[in-house]
Amino acid sequence: MRDIVGDILYVDLTQRRAWREPVAPDRVIRFLGGRGMNASLLWELCKPGTEPLGPENPLIFGTGLATGTEMPSSGRTTVTCRSPATGWYLKTSAGGHWGGELKYAGYGYLVVTGKSEHPVYLWIHDGEVEFRDARHLWGKDVRETDLAIKREIGDEDIQVAAIGPGGEHLVKFAAVMFSVYNAAARGGAGAVMGSKNLKAIAVRGTGALRAAQPARYHQVARACYESLLADSGTAGLAEYGTSGSLNVVNELRLLPSFNFQRSHLEDAYPLTGQYLVEAGYLKRRVACFACIIGCHRYTQIVRGMHAGTFGGGPEYETLSALGSGCGLLDTEVVIKANELCNLLGLDTISCGSVIQWAMECYEKGLITARDLDGLELHWGNGPAVLEMVRRIAFREGFGDVLAEGVKVAAEKVGGDSYQWAVQAKGLEQSRVDTRSAKAYALAFAVNPRGPDHLHTETFAEFGLSPEARALIRKITGDEKYANPYLTDKRPEIVRWHEDCYAVTDSLGFCAFTTTALYGITPELMAQVFSAATGYEISEEAIMEAGRRIVTLEKCYNVREGATRQDDTLPWRMMNERSPDRPDPNAINSAEELAAMLDRYYALHGWDPKTSWPLRSTLERLGLGDVARELGALGKLPDEREG
Amino acid sequence: MALQKVLVIDADRCTGCRQCELVCSYEHEGVYAPTLSRIRLVKFEDRCLNVPVVCGFCDKPPCEDVCPTGAMGQRAGQPYAVVREENCIGCKECVHACPLGAVAMHPRKGVAMRCDLCQGDPACVKVCAPGALRYEPLDAAVRQKRRARVVALGVLRSPEEEEC
Repeated sequence: MRDIVGDILYVDLTQRRAWREPVAPDRVIRFLGGRGMNASLLWELCKPGTEPLGPENPLIFGTGLATGTEMPSSGRTTVTCRSPATGWYLKTSAGGHWGGELKYAGYGYLVVTGKSEHPVYLWIHDGEVEFRDARHLWGKDVRETDLAIKREIGDEDIQVAAIGPGGEHLVKFAAVMFSVYNAAARGGAGAVMGSKNLKAIAVRGTGALRAAQPARYHQVARACYESLLADSGTAGLAEYGTSGSLNVVNELRLLPSFNFQRSHLEDAYPLTGQYLVEAGYLKRRVACFACIIGCHRYTQIVRGMHAGTFGGGPEYETLSALGSGCGLLDTEVVIKANELCNLLGLDTISCGSVIQWAMECYEKGLITARDLDGLELHWGNGPAVLEMVRRIAFREGFGDVLAEGVKVAAEKVGGDSYQWAVQAKGLEQSRVDTRSAKAYALAFAVNPRGPDHLHTETFAEFGLSPEARALIRKITGDEKYANPYLTDKRPEIVRWHEDCYAVTDSLGFCAFTTTALYGITPELMAQVFSAATGYEISEEAIMEAGRRIVTLEKCYNVREGATRQDDTLPWRMMNERSPDRPDPNAINSAEELAAMLDRYYALHGWDPKTSWPLRSTLERLGLGDVARELGALGKLPDEREG
Repeated sequence: MALQKVLVIDADRCTGCRQCELVCSYEHEGVYAPTLSRIRLVKFEDRCLNVPVVCGFCDKPPCEDVCPTGAMGQRAGQPYAVVREENCIGCKECVHACPLGAVAMHPRKGVAMRCDLCQGDPACVKVCAPGALRYEPLDAAVRQKRRARVVALGVLRSPEEEEC
């Protein structure tokens, strides 16, 4: 199974040294691949208190176990490091075609430490690693960088992961961009790459991947293919992309608008995937590696003041963060802002979030046009949004304040502005109003990287498809719990999705295949693992591996000092009722969250007082070594009390 | 005479997922490697543009004309072209002769590679979810193409429009 797992490539940029090590088979069995293996590597390599933007912070790239094969929609790459935005654990992932190419070059994992003296890029091809001067690329945007590298090496089939000016200027929400338009966006992995003077990682391989049981693996792939195509949501996702659901989200009073002051717009149509098609902006439907859904978009603006704009997206999150959140319904401005973020290498969610926070500050008089070098940052001012995106990437004027993320920006501006800084753990909340989605609320609060949906997507709680309702019945015993306004059974729903999502990420599958569409079941994922490695694993055992991964990620934060107090939600979610849903329960009150957390920790076998995993829990999951280390640091709860 | 089926590529529908390449390499080699695929994707990544390229099944195949050993051709009694690997000397004349770039060298065996239509049941077509690849009789493909082209010209107007 060595070629399908791929070796670990270690690169020390300070010493300009690279070496490879195979992955021990028992590590594959315990941590599966991708996200799980990355968690294991970060725990091992990132010592407590490591400076996120210092040379010691390891920047880990991990491909899914199935990445590089025909397994449908399994091409995702996970990036892991200590987050410069939050100081906590960071797992962020991207689609595109880079991961498969790394596998063909002979590697499943890339661990980058150190810092180069001057900008470099890595050129990895068929087992070779070259450190190449990137001084001429520093300052170039992501698209220019991608094209320049392909041109100078002379191979258009090279896959590139790169940072833009955002990462170079250490913007706390800078993205690593894969295959030009696929972002590992959240938590500032791009800034970590920038801090290492690493502009890009170019990969190309001619190797071949062989499953341990080829015929069975092929058969499982066909079963996954048929099952995924049969899901009632697949055709719609292919047709209209992620923003095809924006109107449904709006009707459910979940669409964050005007910096989460509103959760509904009268007319959100200009921000929907349907409108992108109808108005002719959508030019092509695009797929990530091996993906049979193809939800990615290629849009273009042909006429008017933004003519010449083209590229990947915009996605749902972007249309909300840079559109509705900023009180902006101008489709073309959002497409343009999306292009800017892609080229500059910024997370569209956080970028939109800091701008809408600044807009609210502006509307409330905490900042003025004088603070903004003349920019009138009122709701819906499209040109001002575009200018602000640019200033953030280059840290010009007030852009320098916003580039630190909304938590730090609110500390600098002061007053009551922390109340509308919609963040927790230092990460800006992703685009769902958790006041009207209680499983999301719990999942966001306990997410080790901060409040967003990409550790645990609990879309099933809305019950929007027969498959979603069937899953809720499987988890809770009753379809009536497919109701996002209920708090009952949310901990159970979150727990199932945590395990499932960790397995999904570790095998390289896209979350859309398992926790938004449901074609790829845990049972099928167990089959994928078994046929790929030749090591037979059951559905229960692979879900337990998911729990092991989730628990190890939690332990990383515990080692860095996290306690129960850190499992929280943004002030606005917890203290202001949603104005668009007349229901006293349209708020994430402290009491409501506390009750869900108590149950959630109990389900995990974590101590309710500290939120720390119990020694017995860790040992049951085969994490005895982790328990020993936490015990030595005094971070194991006392079990005699409970 | 049975209608001759051909591999039809509708590049407008291609999402660039590479399922065709992966399944092709599996069918022929039992492994996953785009470089071992007989159908290859040309990607223009910044424009998200993807075009599959495969053998055109020429009536006068230059690859067969230039082959000095007769390795490029059909096996006796079989209707589908193959590379007779035991005859191939790796001279690469076929690679240079193919005007489509559809013949490549096997990176490990050192012999020529080209599409053999999986001997009449092409695997790539079966996994092409967006429908960019079809395997159908030539005249059906031409008929569809002709019709689509005429519709694109805008000659088909609604009855209401036509009354005016």
